[in-house]
Amino acid sequence: MNLTTQVIRVLDEALGLQGRSAGFQRDTPLLGALPELDSMAVLALITGLENHFGITFSDEDLHGAVFATVGSLCDLVEQALAQQDT
Amino acid sequence: MSPSARAALPQAFFLPGDNGQRFCLYHPPQGSSPQGRVLYLHPFAEELNSTRRVVAQQARALAKAGYGVLQIDLLGCGDSSGEFADATWAAWLHDAQQARHWLLEQGGGPLWLWGMRAGALLAVQLAQQPQEGGDPTHLLLWQPVASGQQQLQQFLRLQAASQWLGNASSGQTPAQALALGESVHIAGYTLSANLARGLGDARLTPPTAGPAGRLVWLEVSSTQPPQLPPASAKPLAAWSGAGWRVQAQAVNGPAFWQTVGTDDAPALIAATLAALTDIPPP
Repeated sequence: MNLTTQVIRVLDEALGLQGRSAGFQRDTPLLGALPELDSMAVLALITGLENHFGITFSDEDLHGAVFATVGSLCDLVEQALAQQDT
Repeated sequence: MSPSARAALPQAFFLPGDNGQRFCLYHPPQGSSPQGRVLYLHPFAEELNSTRRVVAQQARALAKAGYGVLQIDLLGCGDSSGEFADATWAAWLHDAQQARHWLLEQGGGPLWLWGMRAGALLAVQLAQQPQEGGDPTHLLLWQPVASGQQQLQQFLRLQAASQWLGNASSGQTPAQALALGESVHIAGYTLSANLARGLGDARLTPPTAGPAGRLVWLEVSSTQPPQLPPASAKPLAAWSGAGWRVQAQAVNGPAFWQTVGTDDAPALIAATLAALTDIPPP
């Protein structure tokens, strides 16, 4: 399973989309497009990604732009994974 | 409604407390031989609402298995008196003591303190105050937070989360405001510096007073097979070392305390029931 698929799966679980993420792609908009994405959900999403990938985001890396699309969220995870390897 | 169905309904009442009343739900034990008494202590802030459904299911399942289960909404929470801003850790501990006192006057059998997330911290502090007569207190901890400090940090992160979503920052961080003795407003809750301090000081360490009892520690996990997180190893070893009979397990289920929805966690309910009703491993 590639990274994008995994991110979408965590997203689906954290936001309780119940499979509505099936058609999601990298350019699918999130912030402003998904009513489920409130502050509780965004926290569940961040915690879910941290637990799933075994990474820790620093609060400085987290801002509105990373929740713009599926792709920007994937980039955030990729960046955190890369930082961990170095 | 049949008499047995009516007997299975929880009883709602208000327990008199300091400055007001506390909303309680009592699930009387069913069947002819009561197995024990369970006091449920709820998690922090919005998690109280997110967890109501699964907790209600568990309380009913335990009552059916012969346990009397008491749920209390602490000061400023749920349907109890007061505002969240008025709540302090000491007041919550006092509420828990009053609820335990009430529950110990009902029926018989061993006493279990069932704490969810931050409620586990409160349960552990209540267990620190031994029962009269020297009976051990048992603990059932669901997804216990590692410490009050961790819970506080996660709650404060909610404020950051609303800023990621585009709300303007006030400049001062919530942690800075609390350190200055000010209250902070986060996700619809006003957290006083007093409560933040009490919560932040709470630890999940074994009680130093009273006889050791059983500790049932349950977490839900979405991995296959379910695994306890590495972070739980250290506290579990400490509890075993203090003489507690520890039974720790991860079961499959959703993180139902994080999102308001209709998540079910049947494996968690089954594991809890098995842990309390089966003969424990020696």
